[in-house]
Amino acid sequence: MRWLIAICLAATLALSGMAEQALADPKEEARAQELMRELRCVACENEPISQSAAAIAGDMRVKVRELVNDGKSDADVRAWFKSRYGEFVLFRPSGKGISGMFLWGAPFVLLLLGGAIAFGASRRGGGEAVAPIEPEDI
Amino acid sequence: MIEIGHILAFAALAASIVQAVFGLRGERQLAGRAAVFAFVALAISFLTMIQAFVASDFSLALATKHSNTLKPLIYKISGVWGNHEGSMALWCLVTLGFGGAAAGLMRSERTKFEARALGVQGLLGIGALAYLLFASSPYLRMVPAPFQGAGLNPLLQDPALSFHPPLLYLGYVGYSFVFSLAAAGMMEGRIDREWAKMARGWSLAAFVPLSIGIALGSYWAYYELGWGGWWFWDPVENASLMPWLIGAALLHSMIVTEKRESFAAWTALLAVLAFLFSILGAFLVRSGVLTSVHAFAVDPTRGAVLLFGLVIYGGFALGLFALRAHKLTGGKPYQWISREGAMLTNNIVLMVAALTVLLGTLFPLMAEAFGRTISVGEPYFNLTFTPMLAALLLFLPVVQAWAWGKADVAGWLKWAGAGAVLIAVFAGLGVGVWDISLGAAFGLALAVWLIGGAVWEFTRRAKTFARVFKMPMRVWGMTLAHIGLGVFVLGAVVQTSAKYETTLALPIGGEGEAAGWHFTLDEVKAIEGPNWYADRAVLTATKGGTKTQLAPMKRFYPAARMPTTETAIYKTGTGDLYTALGELRNVEGEARYVFRIYFNPLIDMVYFGVLLIALGAGFSMWPRRKAAS
Repeated sequence: MRWLIAICLAATLALSGMAEQALADPKEEARAQELMRELRCVACENEPISQSAAAIAGDMRVKVRELVNDGKSDADVRAWFKSRYGEFVLFRPSGKGISGMFLWGAPFVLLLLGGAIAFGASRRGGGEAVAPIEPEDI
Repeated sequence: MIEIGHILAFAALAASIVQAVFGLRGERQLAGRAAVFAFVALAISFLTMIQAFVASDFSLALATKHSNTLKPLIYKISGVWGNHEGSMALWCLVTLGFGGAAAGLMRSERTKFEARALGVQGLLGIGALAYLLFASSPYLRMVPAPFQGAGLNPLLQDPALSFHPPLLYLGYVGYSFVFSLAAAGMMEGRIDREWAKMARGWSLAAFVPLSIGIALGSYWAYYELGWGGWWFWDPVENASLMPWLIGAALLHSMIVTEKRESFAAWTALLAVLAFLFSILGAFLVRSGVLTSVHAFAVDPTRGAVLLFGLVIYGGFALGLFALRAHKLTGGKPYQWISREGAMLTNNIVLMVAALTVLLGTLFPLMAEAFGRTISVGEPYFNLTFTPMLAALLLFLPVVQAWAWGKADVAGWLKWAGAGAVLIAVFAGLGVGVWDISLGAAFGLALAVWLIGGAVWEFTRRAKTFARVFKMPMRVWGMTLAHIGLGVFVLGAVVQTSAKYETTLALPIGGEGEAAGWHFTLDEVKAIEGPNWYADRAVLTATKGGTKTQLAPMKRFYPAARMPTTETAIYKTGTGDLYTALGELRNVEGEARYVFRIYFNPLIDMVYFGVLLIALGAGFSMWPRRKAAS
């Protein structure tokens, strides 16, 4: 619940942000922050660790920076958090397996399907004998 | 008093039954009178509820749970709909309101059709009222009456949130009448030019408040929750976005039905879906299957009843559609490259976008059924929803000028060239000068493309300056709405790609730098409001010659035993300097207050863009001059 998170924020703002040192390399720091936006705070509801003020989110941010600093790739960082907290922690769900393919593929399949149906509909009555008419008011 | 309200609600239910029965039999006058009576009865009933809240009559159980003598008047009133039962009463009121308004405003030759539409609206009213009276009654007394009430959820004690639910409901439930019109049209097998002319006004009447309601909710989340963002892909936000997307698709497909009599079946389907998605949104939010700030009455039983209603109404309307869709054909022929083709593409993308939002919102639930816990968040929507809509918007300026039937695309090379140059310029500036990502540079190019394209199309149609003010209101409306899209994209892209956020811990009298501003913490004082007390910090922020004071607060509401953050925002003209007060903390042996500080560039453009869209839709409602056609 959002207001719960707000309490969470109000109550624990102080605990986070302070012990956290940005990485020296701005490129690496940007990559770390990008990752923080797609990892879910496990204590609060529906909030990435980049925004959450819960203590655990702070610890998770420290860990992200540590892993990035160790030269781990984005996939490695995601894998580390997944092995630790489960799939739940990833706001970018995996595209592997049947369900993953469904989740990521369905929008584009629907788009293609819709396009094909619409294209078919336009061919049905059309033909060449169409006179263009300028739209008068809209 | 409240007993009178209770009785009147039953009277409204009885009138709705009369409205449904006689309406479906085709008796326009009687159905119309019943609709007006039902609305008036429920409106008075609603007033008795407001009266009980304003007078702090705690013998009303609802007032005890959700009101408090110390609350400011506006929150006593908004407290009526700031809870499950009251908000359902509002839902009923809007349903009957649209029925009553339609009874008074519809003046076509088709009296039988109008009667049937009122009849279906009556059925929707019966369902809503039955749910209100038998599953979530707001009229119950409490004996003995307590001396004080619990008060409204403090997060909802906010001006924007007072108007957010009524506006949102005007939108959601506004689509109920569009649903009724579609059902009546399908019963008669007639979704034609006349139908589209009538239904268009009603769907705009729902679209305008829905847009403003969503913007208000988003703005509230921005300044009240203290996170500095404006859209979180929260299930509740998604629930309101889906009917909006379908409503936008409907507005466009209705134009085709009105002008060319094509797409009749598709328009009818969209008209039905807009309302079904509104109910689905209410179900998702109220049933507790998804957690959110709006789940103030999470109750699985109530959720089940809502789901039942969704299935009944959905089955009724979709069954009707299946039976009658084959009759809803005709219209003038068109080729793929035509105005019709463009509108159809718009509809497909908006519909798939709505389904993508639905999939992303429901997928965690589906996965849970298989024993997996999965999160779907911003990265998912940014990689599916956003590119889809961006591609659609890319074509908008080009196809605006296309003719019905068959478009002349001889000039496509010029359009492609102009677009390519624009993107190249912004890509160069973005990567080379502004140091933003390529995606953000593309977004900026898109914003300029949309605004420029809308203005270009307007001038093309006006031809001379003298004709600008003689242009039909619908053209003004279209232009404003499409400019609004561009303005929204501009704000959204700049805010997300160039925002700045940090935390600052300051002792009293301490100084620090953040977001290019120099901050001094002057004082932190305990203050008291009507129903809260707070720690209020005073920060002096300076940058160059500009100096301002910001006073973020942390409030505590004793009645609800709940804290809230009250952010302080300084509008610099190019963006928001945004501060939120956190806790007092011991750092290096010194007491320091922690602040979250953001700079959100051009964030107002996000809201201004949506308001322009709503304004444009409002302009489009303007009745056409008879002489012009």
